[in-house]
Amino acid sequence: MSHPLRLVGFGIARTGGDGAEETGGFADRLSAALSVLSRAGAHVRLVHSIEEAALLATHDALRLAGVRTPLGDNDIGVALGVEEGIDGIKAQYYRDVVKDGPLGASPIVFPLTTPNTLAARISIAFDLRGENVTLCGGTLSGAHALGRAMEVLRDGRAPAMLAGGATFLSREFLDALSRVSGSEGGPPGCAACVFLLRTQASTDTGGAVGQILGYAEAVGATDVRDAVHACLQDAVLAPSQVRSVRVASACDPRVLVESIRGVGVEAPMLRSPSACWHSASFPLAVAEAIGQDADMPRDLTLVVGSDCLVGAAAAVVRGGGC
Amino acid sequence: MVTGLGVVSPLNSEGDLERFWTSVCAGETALGEIRAFDTSRYPYHVGAEIDRERLGLSGATREPAWRMAEVACARALTHAGIPPSTLDPRRAGIVVGTVLGGTTTGEQYIRAESRERERDAVPLAQYPLRAVAALLARKMGFAACALTVSTACASGTDAIGLAYRRIASGGADVMMAGGVDALCELAFSGFAALKALTTDTVRPFSRNRTGLALGEGAAFLVLESAQAAARRGASVLGEIAGYASRADAVHLTAPHREGRGLAAAAAAALRDGGFRPDAIDYVSAHGTGTTYNDAMETIALKTVLGNYAHRVAISSIKGALGHAFGAAGAIEAATCLLAMRDGIIPPTINLEEPDPACDLDFVPNRARQATVRAALSLSAGFGGQNAVLAIRAPAP
Repeated sequence: MSHPLRLVGFGIARTGGDGAEETGGFADRLSAALSVLSRAGAHVRLVHSIEEAALLATHDALRLAGVRTPLGDNDIGVALGVEEGIDGIKAQYYRDVVKDGPLGASPIVFPLTTPNTLAARISIAFDLRGENVTLCGGTLSGAHALGRAMEVLRDGRAPAMLAGGATFLSREFLDALSRVSGSEGGPPGCAACVFLLRTQASTDTGGAVGQILGYAEAVGATDVRDAVHACLQDAVLAPSQVRSVRVASACDPRVLVESIRGVGVEAPMLRSPSACWHSASFPLAVAEAIGQDADMPRDLTLVVGSDCLVGAAAAVVRGGGC
Repeated sequence: MVTGLGVVSPLNSEGDLERFWTSVCAGETALGEIRAFDTSRYPYHVGAEIDRERLGLSGATREPAWRMAEVACARALTHAGIPPSTLDPRRAGIVVGTVLGGTTTGEQYIRAESRERERDAVPLAQYPLRAVAALLARKMGFAACALTVSTACASGTDAIGLAYRRIASGGADVMMAGGVDALCELAFSGFAALKALTTDTVRPFSRNRTGLALGEGAAFLVLESAQAAARRGASVLGEIAGYASRADAVHLTAPHREGRGLAAAAAAALRDGGFRPDAIDYVSAHGTGTTYNDAMETIALKTVLGNYAHRVAISSIKGALGHAFGAAGAIEAATCLLAMRDGIIPPTINLEEPDPACDLDFVPNRARQATVRAALSLSAGFGGQNAVLAIRAPAP
């Protein structure tokens, strides 16, 4: 028996990078979101653009779902995928320490050298006192966060979970990546994509922007194949029922295609244009998939991500009111 | 079911579990002057360090977090007595809690960045937070998942909690879960800037406490489903029976003054494990030795345990080990299991002057014999992170 979950809201915030919105649009939306929070009594001071992106995406997800904040109870938890997004901040912080000793250590910047600060910032701004976890899985960070949120909801440990990923791709990170892997990193920027998930049985009467029917992750030589196979099992679907595939990975796409075909999925495949956004790439690909399917609620999209260190993840989603 | 433990700490750099436990119960401390980096520019100099030589840190593995995690994991697997050949890789996974990952390597890179050849020789692959989980999954051949959770000083506790859930939901038969972090200047400078460090020693729950000292280490638990453990006749050390995480939602670096999030997490963990408050025989406190943490933790325990808070034995081992960040919660979960095994509650050392605001039974200075049938392991961290494990002793 499958246990689908409803995606009742999502928010995306991007600035800089490939194909992201204009910085001006980002600033206007952020300003509007902070005004709303301020009127509600939450005076938020942000230090870095990655915080802004994460906060804005969360705000939009909650607003789309019709959730009024600050919430002030344990109902909504947060599972956020963050890893490379703090590397540039951490490097600059330590550079200042090396240069100026204790005087270079900023107590304002220091908390941002740990990835959980973003989820904490979200919990504080919206007064969300439920579960709070940060997953670090490189390009799978957002996938791992979605997976944990699904576990929480399916086990009945919370009625709703915010889940997604956020990243800040600094020039320094991209240069280091290029040196290590030879890949083109793209221009610097930051991005966040956050969903609000609820169980099918939850009592709220709001609509849904999509459904997530299954999810799985795997590690090792056959990680993509194993993750896709387990994901389809989780969703109780046959490979032939998948209508399209969206790949969110910086790894060699040929290997992925071969592995996905190996499971028997014959649907057309598309490389997600958001694959470059690392920790946010998987949630962004899910958002693309449910957007694409908005007029065709029966269409099922398989979203597949992989990371060179920690394996692969797959989710089956569909868009529309379900 | 927990069937294996591996602990590497400044009291047992080579990973000898019994040495760790004997030292903690004897009230020893590993605190001393930090040698891993130069502290001369700071007003603070105290920490608890691993003996790098005894850890076997050399050669290609220059990142202490990698080596500590490798040793603790290997020890845990040996302790569990699981022959690797009997494992189904797709039913075995790993969850690592870490705050810093390979930050020591990152620091080397930054320090060398003006010298290209030296910089390029730094093994940057050991830097990413997820690299430890990837390394361990590859070494052990675990293929279900390789997760890294980073929830500040609650990371190790959350890692064990997530692994417990994975098994409880039928998603795996065996999970290796724990935490690791190495002492580094980046973290030290930040805590120094926040004036959270002690200048002399760590005195949890004491009136004259002056702050925390940073430590380092790794601890991993082998978790198995009841069926998997029974099938191979494993010796069971205890059971992770409940887990919960809750956010304070008030401040990035300070805890909620009345321990709202910690109390909520403890209450939820008790519910999850099916425990009444008075079923708990021992509480392993977060007990950092900072003014605010120890006071809020006392209030949180009174909130969740009621009057029983005055009768339960509570201790913090951070006077012995310092604060090992992402490893702390895992080391303390291991401590709970060893307390159950041997019927000994480790002491809170350096507790000579009790703080009237911390008026519970903190087992001062001397270990105590007691039957421990159930325990809570509490963790709290930056960002208002709170995580609690409820642990049950094996049936006699």
